[in-house]
Amino acid sequence: MSLVAEPGLVADREQADAQPRRRGYASYVGLKVLGALGSLFFMLIVNFFLFRVLPGDPAKTLGRGRLVSQEQIDAFNKTYGLNQSMPQQFVTFLKNIVHGDLGISLQYRTPVSQLIMDRLWPTILLVGTSTILATVIGVYLGIKGAWNRGGMFDKISTGTSLTLYSMPEWWLGLLLIAGLGVGFWFVPGIFPTGGLNSPDVDPNSLHGVLDTMWHLVLPVTTLTLAYLAEYSLIMRSSLLDELGEDYLQTARAKGLRDVRVRNHHAVRNALLPTTTLIALNIGFVVSGAITVETVFSIPGLGLLSTDAIDVPDFWVLQGTFLVASAGVILANLVANLIYGWLDPRVRT
Amino acid sequence: MSNGRVVESPLGNEMIQHGGLVPAQPVVGVGALDPVLGVGEGTARRGRRGRSRHGGHRTAGAFLAALGLLLATLLPGLAIGGPAQGKDKVVFHVAMLGEGVDSLNPFLGFQAPSYEMWGLTYDYLTGYSMKDMSPEPGLATKWTTSPDGRTWTFTVRSGVKFSDGVPLTAADVAYTFNRVLHGTAESTNWISYLKGVTAVTAPNATTLVMKLKKPSATLPLLPIPIVPEHVWKDVSEKEIKSYGAEPQGGKPVVGSGPFRLVQGTADGQIFKFEANPDYWGGAPHIDEVIFQFYKNDDSAVQALLKGEADFVEGITALEVKSLQGKPGIQAHNGNSPGFDEIAFNSGSVDLKGNPIGDPDPAVLDPSFRHALGYALNLPQLIQKVYQGAGLPGTTIVPPNYTEYHWQPPTDQKYTFDLDKAGQLLDAAGYQLNSSGQRTEKDGKTPISLRLAARSDSPTSLHTMDYFQQWLKDLGIKSEVSTYSSSQLTDEIYKGNFDAFQWGWYVEPDPDSMLSYMTCAQRQHSSDSFYCNKAYDKLYEEQHVSTDHAARAGQIKKMQEIIYRDAPYLVTAYSSIGEAVRSDRFACLVTQPNPGGIWLEQYGVYNYIHLKPAADASTCDAAPGLTGAVKVSSSSESSSSTGPFLIAVGVAAVLALVAGGVVMMRRRSTVGDRE
Repeated sequence: MSLVAEPGLVADREQADAQPRRRGYASYVGLKVLGALGSLFFMLIVNFFLFRVLPGDPAKTLGRGRLVSQEQIDAFNKTYGLNQSMPQQFVTFLKNIVHGDLGISLQYRTPVSQLIMDRLWPTILLVGTSTILATVIGVYLGIKGAWNRGGMFDKISTGTSLTLYSMPEWWLGLLLIAGLGVGFWFVPGIFPTGGLNSPDVDPNSLHGVLDTMWHLVLPVTTLTLAYLAEYSLIMRSSLLDELGEDYLQTARAKGLRDVRVRNHHAVRNALLPTTTLIALNIGFVVSGAITVETVFSIPGLGLLSTDAIDVPDFWVLQGTFLVASAGVILANLVANLIYGWLDPRVRT
Repeated sequence: MSNGRVVESPLGNEMIQHGGLVPAQPVVGVGALDPVLGVGEGTARRGRRGRSRHGGHRTAGAFLAALGLLLATLLPGLAIGGPAQGKDKVVFHVAMLGEGVDSLNPFLGFQAPSYEMWGLTYDYLTGYSMKDMSPEPGLATKWTTSPDGRTWTFTVRSGVKFSDGVPLTAADVAYTFNRVLHGTAESTNWISYLKGVTAVTAPNATTLVMKLKKPSATLPLLPIPIVPEHVWKDVSEKEIKSYGAEPQGGKPVVGSGPFRLVQGTADGQIFKFEANPDYWGGAPHIDEVIFQFYKNDDSAVQALLKGEADFVEGITALEVKSLQGKPGIQAHNGNSPGFDEIAFNSGSVDLKGNPIGDPDPAVLDPSFRHALGYALNLPQLIQKVYQGAGLPGTTIVPPNYTEYHWQPPTDQKYTFDLDKAGQLLDAAGYQLNSSGQRTEKDGKTPISLRLAARSDSPTSLHTMDYFQQWLKDLGIKSEVSTYSSSQLTDEIYKGNFDAFQWGWYVEPDPDSMLSYMTCAQRQHSSDSFYCNKAYDKLYEEQHVSTDHAARAGQIKKMQEIIYRDAPYLVTAYSSIGEAVRSDRFACLVTQPNPGGIWLEQYGVYNYIHLKPAADASTCDAAPGLTGAVKVSSSSESSSSTGPFLIAVGVAAVLALVAGGVVMMRRRSTVGDRE
């Protein structure tokens, strides 16, 4: 998942010092933003041609057993602009993009932007919440584990998080449904088995919000448990790297409390790799989590994309990939800007 | 028990009397919370005792915060479990599987669930009988045909009203059909039903006249939802291609059907329908139908077990088996009007009729394919691949359609007989060579077939694996490759295959299924490239036939030809797994009757006639229909998961406890070190 361009950490110090700081940052920002826009535009073009290579003809896939005659297939293709030549379609696509129009889904015959908007919120709720929870808990576990490496806590937390990490997400999800959704033995099934909200509840009322939270407990737990190891292991290893450093000895010698040495000295320095990971994964939030969305029947962007591949629903695929790549590019940009601000050496 | 589900009190009481299906939600919620709280406090106390120095307060504070968080997550459950919001509504919850609703606009959708949604929302000119899906009055109370068969006159029911109060007249029917006839987007789905229709007019409010070029045997079956003209006339030709026909601002979609769609959107998860109390066919016995789409069959089955769903559709035969023993649940494999087949490349050509692709010469030969008919052990296939749910297949018109199905006589019927298959192959010129391999007609090249299976269907994969084994027993080498459905569609159109596995649903009038095997459908709906002039002639004849009995005879003859030439070897008549909470709802009847399916039928009979268990002592008298679902009492707990899960649960709890203990110990050592 290392799509992020490593910021140039090794830089010529003299050069950096020679440049006035503010102006340097402004041009740095400008360059980075331009780069991000360039990547986005490149993605747009790649997206268009990438999906045209997919096997399958939407009219024939969707219409199997329904569109009997050539007239019907022609009518379908004409209605949705599939009878145009590839260059024509590409021009239409660019024109529409400029107007903020992502086209009409071939599968659902609804504007793609509306489909994506409908799916965006559930995706952010599910994957975003899990990412944050996994980050907080994972970093905590990593710190605790590294600080007393080889101890019982370290062994158990590393072992557990690795086990959860290697478990298929859907299986973990199904276990949770069977255990906590349906209930077993004396444990009552208190959580819903799937969906984002109950059918009878207005999702915009307070009751609806609580209901949605209630529905998200199991899927968020599943994803959090699955993501945990990613953060805890990185945090653990980068903190381990710091452990032998002299400055920690100095801090201890100053008579600082152990907790303070850990939190204010060691962890500060060990956080950089984790920050990169977090920034990256936040970018990936909008890509969705296909398996968990499937098991818990959460209408997220991951499912939307996979369902679209079979048709293939070109416009939906272009839309979801645009959102996903924009997410990653944006997160990447933010990470770069923060790096540049934190560490002037990267502004070359 | 689901959250916020409207549990109607009379029904709820009834259910508890029947054996107490579910305690009221608050009990469950609090019950779950109490032990958790207890445990939480216990650990917090121990934590404080174990650590007397600084840092202790902070950790305790963190612990309290964590507790608060835990409470916050549990609260919604409590709140939801609180007073039931619905008053006395009877709600039928259906868990749907598979592809979702692709469009609520009846001119645009293709997927089966969309048809179910339209069926509840709109009316049709004619309907399908529950017994055998023969035409039945719908909006049309009766119909007549002119002697030349080219003019049909329908009498449209009077007194029918759309949900907004506007009366439905023959003009609405004419408007709908004309929109299909003259539109672009509108024509994609429905034009084939109006093939040969030149004009549709409504001379008055109760008369609809349909003019045809040639007589049509498929009339009066017209499964086109009738939309209100006064609403749809404002939807332009340009707008219709993305017009949703969805509820807006709490207002239901305007239709005249037995239910009104109040919530739902294309590709949505939840679709909510309210009963139409003024329905001309009689008001439904339930107040609401709610469809919830599941992406995963395990979750849907769990929802049924738990009681979140009253009905689940499209589950596997194994799941049906596991549900059959459960009290309060009735599950079955209903015979669906469809079949699965092994299809052969019978001569791939392009649109101009020039050969394309690279089929093995052997599969192009009808006598080769015919011989392979004796190499299929269909009973074994049904047992192993279909888990016993389904019937061995014969022809392309399923036996559900008793009127049209042709049953091969004993001397023509394929039986599993490898010796006979071998003899037939020998006779057709496909001999074994010295190394036991069957060769092409030239006597030299060993036959090698490419069998295509669909990666998204385990049935497809397993069928081809068995087929490969049987071919091997005949000395024929073959290789199974898997494709996604769209990939396979591509390969089929290019003619780059020898055989593949797929299936069809067959409509109550088999005309369209029969048409797929005609020469004209090659590169269109035909996937076997079968072409036979004698067959085509019969097809044209039956298509315009007005003599019902003669037409049935022609259709049977056509099946016989296909059976003999074997572009398709029909492997199985498939079934659909369904389960219903019979402790809550009863009176569902199968279509066809007996042996068919409960939901996703042709028509929406069961939604109108099913009854809540409390007043299901008498089901609506339905002449000639048998086997309505009866009320059954349920056990006290709806959950029962195996010892395996319990073990997993125990292990998880142990791990948590161990982790907790270690954490406590760890904290004290931090303290000691300071």
